[in-house]
Amino acid sequence: MPTLLNELLADTIQRSLHLFVPELIVCATIVVMLLVRVFGLHRWLPARWVTVFGAMVAMAWALYQFVGLRQETLQPAVVFTGMLIVDQFTVFFRVFLLLALVLVTALSVLTEVPDDDDGADFYTLLLGSTLGMMLMAASNHLLMLFLSVEMTSVPSYVMVGFLKGRRRSSEAALKYVVYGAGAAGIMLYGVSLLAGLTGTANLHELAVRIGTLLSAGHVSLGDPILQTALLGVLFVFVGLAFKLSVVPFHFWCPDAFEGAAAEVAGFLSVASKAGAFALLTRFVLAILGDYQPVEVRHVYLVVGIGVGVIAAVTATFGNLAAYAQTNMKRLLAYSTIAHAGYMLMAVAALIVVLTGTAAPTFDVFAEAQRAVQGLLYYLSVYLFMNLGAFAVVAMIRNRLLSEDIDSYQGLAREMPVLCVVMAVCLFSLVGVPPLGGFVGKFMIFASLFQAGFVHWSMWAVLVIGGLNTLFSLFYYVRVLKVMFLGELPEQRPAAAMAASGSSAFAVLLAVPVLLLGVFVHRLSAAANEVAGTLFR
Amino acid sequence: MHTDIGTTLATLLAIAWLLPLAGFAVEIFGGYLWGRLSKTAAYIAVGCIATGFVCSVAALLIWGNATGWSALSSQEHHAAAAHSDGVTLPPADDRRPDVAARGQNPAEHAGSAAAADSPAHPGSADQDDEHAATAEDTAAHAANHDGSPAHVAGEHRATGTRAYSGVFYTLAMFGDLVVTIDYYIDSLTLVMFVMVTFIATCIHIFAIGYMSDELTLDYVDHHAHTADGKHVHRPGRFYRFFAYMSLFCFSMLGLVLAGNIFQVFVFWELVGLCSYLLIGFYVERKSATDAANKAFIVNRVGDFGFIVGLMVIWTALGTFRFGETEVCGRRDPGIFQMVRGDDGRLLKTEDGTAVLLRTERDAHGRWQVAAAGQQRTIPYVLLVLAGFGVFCGCVGKSAQFPLQTWLPDAMEGPTPVSALVHSATMVAAGVYLAGRFFPVFTTDVLLIIAYVGCITLFLAATIAVVATDIKRVLAYSTISQLGYMMLGIGVGGWGAGLFHLVTHAFFKSLLFLCSGSVIVGCHHEQDMSRMGGLLKKMPITALTMLVGVIAISGLAIPGLIAFSGYYSKDAILATALAYADHNPLHFPLFVVPLLTAGITAFYMFRLWFYTFCGEPRDPELHAHVHESPAVMTGPLIALAVLAAFCAVGGENGVLYRLIWGSAPEGLAAGVPAAVGNGLALPSTHAVHEVHSRAGALGLLLAVAGTLLAYVIYVRRLLDPADIVRQFKRLHAFLVEKWQFDNVYDAVFVRPVHVVAGWCAAFDRVVLDGIIHASARAAVTVSRWDRLFDEGFVDGLVNLLADVVYRFGALLRVVQTGRLRQYVVFLALGALALFVLLAAFFPGA
Repeated sequence: MPTLLNELLADTIQRSLHLFVPELIVCATIVVMLLVRVFGLHRWLPARWVTVFGAMVAMAWALYQFVGLRQETLQPAVVFTGMLIVDQFTVFFRVFLLLALVLVTALSVLTEVPDDDDGADFYTLLLGSTLGMMLMAASNHLLMLFLSVEMTSVPSYVMVGFLKGRRRSSEAALKYVVYGAGAAGIMLYGVSLLAGLTGTANLHELAVRIGTLLSAGHVSLGDPILQTALLGVLFVFVGLAFKLSVVPFHFWCPDAFEGAAAEVAGFLSVASKAGAFALLTRFVLAILGDYQPVEVRHVYLVVGIGVGVIAAVTATFGNLAAYAQTNMKRLLAYSTIAHAGYMLMAVAALIVVLTGTAAPTFDVFAEAQRAVQGLLYYLSVYLFMNLGAFAVVAMIRNRLLSEDIDSYQGLAREMPVLCVVMAVCLFSLVGVPPLGGFVGKFMIFASLFQAGFVHWSMWAVLVIGGLNTLFSLFYYVRVLKVMFLGELPEQRPAAAMAASGSSAFAVLLAVPVLLLGVFVHRLSAAANEVAGTLFR
Repeated sequence: MHTDIGTTLATLLAIAWLLPLAGFAVEIFGGYLWGRLSKTAAYIAVGCIATGFVCSVAALLIWGNATGWSALSSQEHHAAAAHSDGVTLPPADDRRPDVAARGQNPAEHAGSAAAADSPAHPGSADQDDEHAATAEDTAAHAANHDGSPAHVAGEHRATGTRAYSGVFYTLAMFGDLVVTIDYYIDSLTLVMFVMVTFIATCIHIFAIGYMSDELTLDYVDHHAHTADGKHVHRPGRFYRFFAYMSLFCFSMLGLVLAGNIFQVFVFWELVGLCSYLLIGFYVERKSATDAANKAFIVNRVGDFGFIVGLMVIWTALGTFRFGETEVCGRRDPGIFQMVRGDDGRLLKTEDGTAVLLRTERDAHGRWQVAAAGQQRTIPYVLLVLAGFGVFCGCVGKSAQFPLQTWLPDAMEGPTPVSALVHSATMVAAGVYLAGRFFPVFTTDVLLIIAYVGCITLFLAATIAVVATDIKRVLAYSTISQLGYMMLGIGVGGWGAGLFHLVTHAFFKSLLFLCSGSVIVGCHHEQDMSRMGGLLKKMPITALTMLVGVIAISGLAIPGLIAFSGYYSKDAILATALAYADHNPLHFPLFVVPLLTAGITAFYMFRLWFYTFCGEPRDPELHAHVHESPAVMTGPLIALAVLAAFCAVGGENGVLYRLIWGSAPEGLAAGVPAAVGNGLALPSTHAVHEVHSRAGALGLLLAVAGTLLAYVIYVRRLLDPADIVRQFKRLHAFLVEKWQFDNVYDAVFVRPVHVVAGWCAAFDRVVLDGIIHASARAAVTVSRWDRLFDEGFVDGLVNLLADVVYRFGALLRVVQTGRLRQYVVFLALGALALFVLLAAFFPGA
């Protein structure tokens, strides 16, 4: 027994901890923040500054790790007895999520959403949720998969209901909690099915086990092993689909976004989606593994097509439902659903490509790498454009005390900078060149096109995706029309002016959207490299 | 050494080129920053272009020192060799003897000193005057004695030519194809740079005075009216004017510096854009906007040909670069090397239908045709098409027949613009490109160029005779002079045409600025028939303008004094005469320009007499006339000095030799008819033979034209009104500009309007209909979707929830409505997915 303990200690201290520093810094930040309040120092050291500082230090460390991994001074490793994996993919998402955390914290400082008394609570939740997302990206075990999702979700529920005393907010939080609990239950069921079937919960071994089970001739639907495996995969997918707000598991999303503060909605739409996609990518690759026998690949092809269909339905549903919205946050919620659909198309392309046969003209792993690359690029642009849109909504809310699209009439004359930023973000969300959204969409569509050579249905998905881009133009531009062409109403409620830095912050978010649309190479090369580590 | 000099030159010229762009970027926002009453924009613009001028001069000096002023000295050899009757230099295959001979030749030092000074300090060129004037005659005589030394010297000079071409910036690489921003620097580039920056500096300074009435918050435009008949009031746009001017300078210099034809095209369009902005500077005036549109559209017609030419070049040659350039470590041949090689000859295939391209270098580093089997060729017809296409662009930009109609209308822009853009530089860009692209032109294309120039120069001159608007007379004279340049290039007088380009730039910008001074003095009156007797009121303007008028008319006292126009026009006439001698069928190419030389003198002196002499025709106007301030007259004087003396020495002068230093290979020896598809190009020697004859005839006609103008408009021995009555129909025909505008209106504009009307209707009815219908359809579909979502999906959910509710009610579990639906749907969704998967599973 002592040897086991010693081994565990050695594994933890010698191998794992130094790769886990960014997460530790986040934990330490939470502790420091709480201690500050306990000792009554929060008047001199407000929680928001502790958060900003902690997040930035963590991000700097993650960046250092990223560079280290790139230059191979740092080796990727499976840590904590196989629970987590730290490779370039993990670290990429660490940087990404911590950047999102920094930006959201900065935004909430500017818009003063949590007041000084509540600050510590709010930022504790924010940090905790981010921690969960970072674990999502690093998961290497079915148990971690479930735990990290829950770790992300629980603080999110509270944050959605953070606007105390507002009925809508509390109602939204309650819906979110209950829905989330249901999804978690289903996912846990899926996890137990998979673990029970294969006898392992380690993602690395899953593929081989399932492959061995299925390749022994169990590929007809009447076979209980296939049924169990499919059910397990499906249920885990449902749990992730809830986080991704994929149709038909999106019902919580508009209500929660409408009820939550725009800052929280922005964070959830960007960061938790990124974490979920990282986890989904890992799960998909864990299931598919390396090269499977032909009959097994055939099974997965059906799964891939299914994901593609769901993606297409999600994008279409999100876009069409956004038409009739009058509340800006609700509109953005549906837009978030639609974008989850676009990004899910990349996952579909990934699955379908991996089931393809290697031919001289078709390099399976290169194409798969390209699909992940597209997903990463899209997420990176999405961080800026979607958060930018939510930030502008938050800032306008502080000025107008309203989030109704109708109240935005003629706003461009009053707040030109914010409205231009909004225009940049929305056009990027549509995917108009030369903005970043176009490049991301282009990469994903290019992967879909390649996947079409494996199965034609991907081309159909591609066509639907293209049509959706067209549909989405209408409702985004409607907002801009109100902003830029509407008449400024005579009477405006006088309200506190926004913090002086808010316009600058909005521009700060819009500039990368433009840059990522023009200077594509650096990030796409990095994304390609990161994606490549998954297929080594 | 070679590359080092090239890099230095490129850096200097790039500074001169990019400074105006930086200036533009600063000035265009200046209106917000400094306010509309500030002159800061003007000072920045002048600073940028003046610095550019300094850089250009420095570059010229560096180039001269690096080449040992060989361009000048070899011409001295030429003269000396001719004098001593047959001191033949060894046929040179490299540049060494040239440099070696340098130390022993005293004349060379004088030449280099003069060259160093003259572009920068025109005044110092005086000392060369006498020497040059006599040298011209002796050179002509000497050439008569024995042509062969001149030939040898010419050849020798040709190998001494140095063009620096290289890459500024690599834009992209696609395999073997490297897309770059190139430069091509030879003496022509340098002369153009010095000329453009100098004139631009003068005009910028002049414009500070001319545009000063824009320095106001409430500018009243007397030529523009609002709907209710009042004058338009608007804020002044002083800073914007200078920003546009800076952008123009950047574009123009970029065009000259460009090292590949596509880059030329880019800047070609940019100068077009600047021209459009500047012509339409007074946007409130309909005439100005119409003129801007006309200029832009007519130029597009020419550019169509240009693009065709570009496509041919790209398809057949696979490169746009002019000269051989080192790209990614290998030396690639440029267009010139491919087509002409190092000796300037076209190598045709045996059947004569295609031209061999020289793509390989032999052991001596000369470009040769590749070994048999790997030869690349371009069909002769395509080569003609390429040249003709590019020339079409030149026709549009240089306002040649039949696209000349836009230039007179372009006078709607402020006068400094007319001086800089529409007389001295931009319109000359067409001639410049024709000169630059000369190696690609075959003799057939050159004949077309010659005839186009010939028609243009006559046509424009005749219209100028009847025009009464002072700027329009100058505009038509510009077209006519551009025709001369084109003619010069077309008949093989490459040096003569470009020589005239530079001299014309000086005296025509002078003339325009003088007219601007007159217009300001007369409170924006442009009609000459209301002027007269201004000589006493505006002495500086009148006298400087007289210098310009004499220069453009080509008047001179041979052997004693001659202004720049005399030399350059003589050079063109002489080449034309030699060409007509070689190709007797094309004698109009000499006769028409000769006659037009007389007409030119007539209408230019008519303008001057009309404006400055005689009794004032409008006493009220005359009473208020005043001389312009020093900021305007200063540039006039500077330009007048250059207009008078920039060409001293004629074809042995510094300016001509500098230009000739970049002459295409093999041009000096001429082209026999057998080689040139039945058309011979005269050699330098042949031109020298007829030079004095052509000069005498040209001078005779110029004097005749001057006398006629004097007789009619000063002595009034003939009444102009009477002449108009006698030739009423001819006069009307000329006033109507040969009916060109009317014909174009009937043939092109109106049909286009009709077709455009159809298109608009189609767009409005059909396309918009489709778009509206699709928008409506999308809205309808989404409404259905909403109905579906709210009615069917929610209904289904409600139904299910209802069932569950009753079930729950049975179990006495009380839950709220919607949330439960969600959870139920969560479970149902998972189930549905599994069912769907099972249903579509293969083999299910």
